Amino acid sequence: MSRRLLAVLIAGAIAAAGGLAWSGWPPHSDYLPILICYEVIGSSYLVAGIAAWVRWPSSRLGLLFTIAGYLYLLPYILVNLANPVAFTIGNLGQGIYTAAVAHLGLAWPTGRLRSRFECGVVIAEYVTAVGFSAAAIVFWNPAFSGCDASCPANVLLAGDGSRSAGNAINTIGGFVGLVLTGIVLTLIVRHWRSARGWSRRAMVPLVWLAGAVGIEQIVTGGVLNLPLSSLVSFGLAPLVMLAGPVLFVISTVRARTAGGALGTAIVDLGQGASPARLREALARALGDSTLQLAFGRPDESGYLDTAGRAVDVDRPGPGRVVARIAGSDEAVLVYDEGLALEPQLVKLTAAAASMALEHARLQAEVQAQLEQVRASRTRIVEAGDAERRRLERDLHDGAQQRLVTLSLALGMARDRAAQADPELGSLIESASKEAREALTELRELARGIHPAVLTETGLTGAIQALAERSPVATTITAVPDGRFPAAIEATAYFVVSEALTNVAKHAMAGGAEVTIYQRPGRLVVEVSDDGAGGARPEGGSGLRGLADRVASVGGVLRMDSPPGCGTRLEADLPCP
Amino acid sequence: MTPRLKDQTELRVVIAEDTVLLREGLRRVLTDVGLDVAGTAGDAEQLLSLVAAARPDVVLTDIRMPPTQTTEGLQAALEIRRRWPGTAVTVLSQHVETEHLFELLAGDPRGIGYVLKERVADIAQFTDAIRRVAAGESVIDPQVVSRLVARPRRDSPLETLTERELAVLALMAEGRSNHAIANQLYMSPKTVETHVGNLFAKLGLLPVAEDHRRVLAVLTYLRQ
Repeated sequence: MSRRLLAVLIAGAIAAAGGLAWSGWPPHSDYLPILICYEVIGSSYLVAGIAAWVRWPSSRLGLLFTIAGYLYLLPYILVNLANPVAFTIGNLGQGIYTAAVAHLGLAWPTGRLRSRFECGVVIAEYVTAVGFSAAAIVFWNPAFSGCDASCPANVLLAGDGSRSAGNAINTIGGFVGLVLTGIVLTLIVRHWRSARGWSRRAMVPLVWLAGAVGIEQIVTGGVLNLPLSSLVSFGLAPLVMLAGPVLFVISTVRARTAGGALGTAIVDLGQGASPARLREALARALGDSTLQLAFGRPDESGYLDTAGRAVDVDRPGPGRVVARIAGSDEAVLVYDEGLALEPQLVKLTAAAASMALEHARLQAEVQAQLEQVRASRTRIVEAGDAERRRLERDLHDGAQQRLVTLSLALGMARDRAAQADPELGSLIESASKEAREALTELRELARGIHPAVLTETGLTGAIQALAERSPVATTITAVPDGRFPAAIEATAYFVVSEALTNVAKHAMAGGAEVTIYQRPGRLVVEVSDDGAGGARPEGGSGLRGLADRVASVGGVLRMDSPPGCGTRLEADLPCP
Repeated sequence: MTPRLKDQTELRVVIAEDTVLLREGLRRVLTDVGLDVAGTAGDAEQLLSLVAAARPDVVLTDIRMPPTQTTEGLQAALEIRRRWPGTAVTVLSQHVETEHLFELLAGDPRGIGYVLKERVADIAQFTDAIRRVAAGESVIDPQVVSRLVARPRRDSPLETLTERELAVLALMAEGRSNHAIANQLYMSPKTVETHVGNLFAKLGLLPVAEDHRRVLAVLTYLRQ
């Protein structure tokens, strides 16, 4: 809507409200409440009209609100202008607003009438409202309504008028109006029943309000001449008229609430949610259970929604609208056309969906990369272990065996030479000693590369071996029998080995304790000492390497080392 | 089930070792000292069929053998002890650690030897070990025992032992009889008995008469 049009509308609204106030002022004290009612109701329609025009530029609702507002206010201004022509037109025009209100109700919430029949009903509403008014006014002498000589004249009055003729026309008009009201209300209820999603929820307040209007019409339409009629027409009717603007306010609040709920829904959705859960969150936030989130099939043969149903994005079906999700040309939102009134909300929804999908995609990507890195790290460590095993075996089968054979040969040579040539004997003896030393060193080297006892007997023997070699008194509290995956056994072994080395080097401990136990799916390795404590997890490459090693099999290394209270190292390893 | 005691010159030995050079070296050494080498084997399977056929007095086997190069020799040794309980077995180990040792001793420690491979260089000591095993003694490599004795301990009654008593303890753990201990430490057998009694009391061990039971009790104590 152009600014100029808006300015005209605002000026018109102010003028109308001001005109009413001026023309009716000073009011007869009895009419003051009525005057205020008219002011409030008429102004609220005009304000709702302007606001609707601004909020829903694509919809005619703003126009309908504005028309209803003017049709409501203008007759009363004219009546009060003390001009016979204006007085006559004003009286003629009273009541036409009901046709505008019916029009508004039928066009809710898109502003468009849904069928030719409905157009006909609306035209009939306007025509009967104007027609019966025009017919009745011919017979209406203002004096019938208690108007004295100060009243302007009815310029359309034929003769002195006829009270009975006027009443008869009013009664017939009332009947016709009632029938039309019935049709309109029925149509509104049908709209509500056939509506889905956003539109259906938008219809709910309308249905309630239409019901109230219907009752008001029956009571005040002159059909039933109840004793309460005048009370209702002066007390209830103005309140019922307020229903229109209230409807607008409810819709506005709902859109805002939905906008806010979107943010919360996306936050609550958390990480790595499936598209189905994203759709649910969006549908819940919008209050449109028919919302669909559809993705292009990989073979480009169409779209499928999150429930696996095919979606035709070019012809989404009656009452459905398609919006593409930015940043992802393969995803679309399909929603109720009622929601199209709120382009901002749709944009917000699409943006939220886009962000969530992008987030999920990135997360999946990062997760996949992480999995790859983890797997490759595990493979590297396993390859390293295998290489160490191979080296150890090569040492054993090769150099160590040769040295043993050499030692044996030297022993035999020495025994033979000892008697004949003692000097040669002692020479050979020292060579033999060297060979033994070499064997011992080689054994230590091989054990350091890979502990054969771990491969041969598993953790029980290997941990016992570590405890036996430890320079610090080491108690083994528990080690589970049985074998575990090689990588887990090796990691547990290196944890204990490195921990005991650290205890000996740094802890100034009197003793250490090793406990290995199983929890469902886990193998927990604990090494604690009663030393000085105060070790820092980041200190020392050995500990860092150990943490890496533990992480390589998907485990966690924890260290607890309060100064003066010993150190406790715990490796929590996965163990299927 | 005492291993058959024979005149030691007639001791029949079977050797299992996968390295040909070492196997032949061992055969030569044992033949040289007057043992009857009834056959040699390159793996555990051969060893078992050889023992079934030759029924030797003593088996000498490497722990690590083909095909997996882990503990085939040890498993074969245990199998031999199960099927022919009278056969003495000496295993050659590369491990100073005691895991395999205890597996081996768990049944009946009589006629069991656990000797580090490098011990073969000292031919006299090595052949003596085989003879002792054949005679039903238990023989545990001194290096294995000394490591166990030297292990750091806290609040252990071992700290209250005198040096003499510790020496007696170590020799007991090696499988020596009181008589052998007395000879080695230049004591009278009576003194050795006194030491043994004292140290058993200090360690809170129940006194045991038989040497082989004593070996297990002492080793188990040291291993804790």
